[in-house]
Amino acid sequence: VNRLRIPIENITLPNGLKVVVAPDSTAPVVTVGVYYKIGFRLEPQGRSGFAHLFEHMMFQGSANAPKMQHIKLINASGGVLNGSTHYDVTNYFEAVPSNALERILWLEADRMRALKVDEENLRNQRDVVKEEVRVNVLNQPYGGFPWLDLPPIAFRTWANAHNFYGDFADLDAASLTDVQSFFKTYYAANNAVLLILGDVKPDEGLALARKYFGDIPAGAAPPFADVREKEQTEERRGEVPEKFGTLPAMAIGYTVPARRTAEWHAMTLLDQALHGGRAGRMYRELVLEKQIAVEVDGGIEDVFGYSGPTQMVTKILHKPEYSSDATLGAFDEVIAEVQDAGISEDELDQLKIKFRSDYFSMLEGGQGGMPRYGLMHLLACFALFDNDPQLVNSILDGFLAVTRDQIQAVAKKVLRPGNRAIVFRRPAPGQPQAGVKEAA
Amino acid sequence: MATRAAEVHTVVPPLSAERPVTWPKRTKARLANGLDIVLAESHAIPKLHGELFFRAGNAAAMHRAPGLAEMTATVVRTGTANSASRQIEENLRRLGADLSSSAGADNSAISFAGLSELAERLLGMVKELATEASFPESEFERERRQKLEEVKLNRTQPGFLAGERLRKVLFGAHPYAQVAPREEQVAAYKRDDLLTVYRDFYTPENALLVLVGDFNPDAMLEAIEKIFGQWSGPKPVIPPAAEPPRPRGRRVYLVHVPGAVQAQIVVGCHAITRKHPDWVKLGLTNSLYGGAFNSRLVMNIREDKGYTYSPRSSVNPLRQYGYFSVSAAVRNDVLAASLAEIFYELDKLRALQVPEPELADARNYLSGVFSLGLATQSGLLSQLATVALHELPDDYLETFRDKVRALTADDLLGAARKYLDSPNMQIIVVGDRTQIEPQAALFGDIEVFDAHGKRLI
Repeated sequence: VNRLRIPIENITLPNGLKVVVAPDSTAPVVTVGVYYKIGFRLEPQGRSGFAHLFEHMMFQGSANAPKMQHIKLINASGGVLNGSTHYDVTNYFEAVPSNALERILWLEADRMRALKVDEENLRNQRDVVKEEVRVNVLNQPYGGFPWLDLPPIAFRTWANAHNFYGDFADLDAASLTDVQSFFKTYYAANNAVLLILGDVKPDEGLALARKYFGDIPAGAAPPFADVREKEQTEERRGEVPEKFGTLPAMAIGYTVPARRTAEWHAMTLLDQALHGGRAGRMYRELVLEKQIAVEVDGGIEDVFGYSGPTQMVTKILHKPEYSSDATLGAFDEVIAEVQDAGISEDELDQLKIKFRSDYFSMLEGGQGGMPRYGLMHLLACFALFDNDPQLVNSILDGFLAVTRDQIQAVAKKVLRPGNRAIVFRRPAPGQPQAGVKEAA
Repeated sequence: MATRAAEVHTVVPPLSAERPVTWPKRTKARLANGLDIVLAESHAIPKLHGELFFRAGNAAAMHRAPGLAEMTATVVRTGTANSASRQIEENLRRLGADLSSSAGADNSAISFAGLSELAERLLGMVKELATEASFPESEFERERRQKLEEVKLNRTQPGFLAGERLRKVLFGAHPYAQVAPREEQVAAYKRDDLLTVYRDFYTPENALLVLVGDFNPDAMLEAIEKIFGQWSGPKPVIPPAAEPPRPRGRRVYLVHVPGAVQAQIVVGCHAITRKHPDWVKLGLTNSLYGGAFNSRLVMNIREDKGYTYSPRSSVNPLRQYGYFSVSAAVRNDVLAASLAEIFYELDKLRALQVPEPELADARNYLSGVFSLGLATQSGLLSQLATVALHELPDDYLETFRDKVRALTADDLLGAARKYLDSPNMQIIVVGDRTQIEPQAALFGDIEVFDAHGKRLI
């Protein structure tokens, strides 16, 4: 296996802003990202959903680019843009023809320097966010399943356990003062990384970063609350009524070992053994062989991109003729089998080949037409959490070194009832049955 | 110093000189058995992405049963003369590969991606699925039950219900009208129906193989010839389809979902196919109307009024017909207000020339975004497939940007008047009728359906 050799230049500016440049001139396209080390996990109590609402506010205007200028200038340069809020980071990113690079850096610097928004902008985006929550959660079958369902069952610390999309009352309570204070606390240059990927020369990228971001003042080091959970000893269960969906569903989450430990590497491959598509043990046993479930998928989401308690989650939609207990029993048999017998050398070889292949796709991969989103995301997370973006080139080694024994050991240690949470989503009684035959 | 630097930075930096966009060289070939091939190199990662298309999908099988091509594609991967389902899935994993088989209205396809060092073996598996699928009875029964549950679940999704109703209204007795089978239609599928579709559709005369990735095209062509050369089979005969209706005047179709907390709007009208000479004009008109973040519709009902999160418009090119549609999921109490703005923006584009600066921005957007596809294997694959499947000219990719840049305000006014057919738009609303019916009825005569398509009034 050839070592990856993605060229990466990284520096830290005097104001604390990390800068990463990954040049590749095959296409005249450049991807720019700015990541701030703050996500919905650490939003203020009483302000659930605020980190995400704030992300919307970052498109509402800055000192020299009033509302809509940001979006207009990027679209008019032939580019696309977006932002997204995660557990521990919030990102803003755009892909443009490379002749717009300087303009994009100017825009990102302008909003890192000074957000300029008013009551009207806040009211507008609060309305937009509520429709976002309705379209993705409240008006959808299995909306928020299980990403909003499981945390309050699995965790006891407010940071890990609250409603990340936000209760509407909390969204309504958010004020402009909250916006400016959140900006001042977490959106400081020293709490961020700038990424420039694609058609740019390293020296040019670093020089432009200095030119546009160098004179942004550093802020105070942001406070980060302790998000550790007390050790769990008992299985935790909860229920959420399903308003629209036709099938009973459940999700089982096990809290995974700390990131970048040997156990975490083994856990990640174990996750692939269990959830890696149709060859994965869960899909094979529950859908293909026993035919209890209609859909099974899951895993450790965004395995490189978090910094705090997280879970490997299995999502199951099962046939109504099987009870929740029977379904969970079949799930438990899959877990018991891997604990008792481990996995074969052949299976481990397959998992490693597939993991390597998936890793390449992730690096190249787009999100909404955004080339190199994956490489950007990994560089950012490795810069912010590990202070080492070069890990992109070496992190695979740890996964390719995992042994069968390590996988079996981590299966026994982690996949215990006392380390898991389960949510049941059952179609609400009295709901119109989708099975009713139509007249015509 | 800091103050001075900040002053310098108050002005938007201009665009620098554009770097030329160079599309990769394509290798096109046709094997003696009729298989069309398009190859392009892309060495950014040591992988390849490919898709084996068959130019017949659910529309061509509609006279047998709705959704039959999709069901056939689903079962294709579950067994061959030599391999059982489990073996196929494990072999794919052994090649670091992802594979999916599916069918849309016009095409069936096996799409795949894997490590380039194992490309020949992956192509061998694709060929095995395309030529030797055995449709095991037990696999068929299981997949049919899953399909049945999927069909039920679809009827709980507002977006699905709205899109489905629009297709019924625009296409009537034409096969494009039915986007998914009903439960009893799935229950009536027979294994023999699948075998017939497989035999008729999955032939080299009907096929197109597109590959993009880290390979040498000459060597790849040789490998393809070796793997696919012995396969044979004619083009399928596809029965002629009924003419779609041309609905005149606005009508409202409300799909009632009790308890819905939002109204899903879709409005639409007939438009044009991708081969039509006006395609680029309509494409630019669409991106200015509601096809981009910085478009009039998004600015109006999202950024100004906050009615919705994700409004958008699109031109949907099927092989025989195309249609234009606008969608938005809005707060119940602003349904009428949202529809009023949707039509206001359509009518404005039909009445007034687009100001030059706005036109210039839209031209830049569409031509710039088009070249982003160059940067990933899957993006390039999708562009090459579009050109080949819609039988566009060989220089389509190279000339697209120039065509966009040549468009004038008159071109857009003409396209808007011709294709954004505001007076004849059909209006679909999915939501709780007790919350939204009076607002919906303001926009035309109304028909109300339940989620299963049963007419309520």
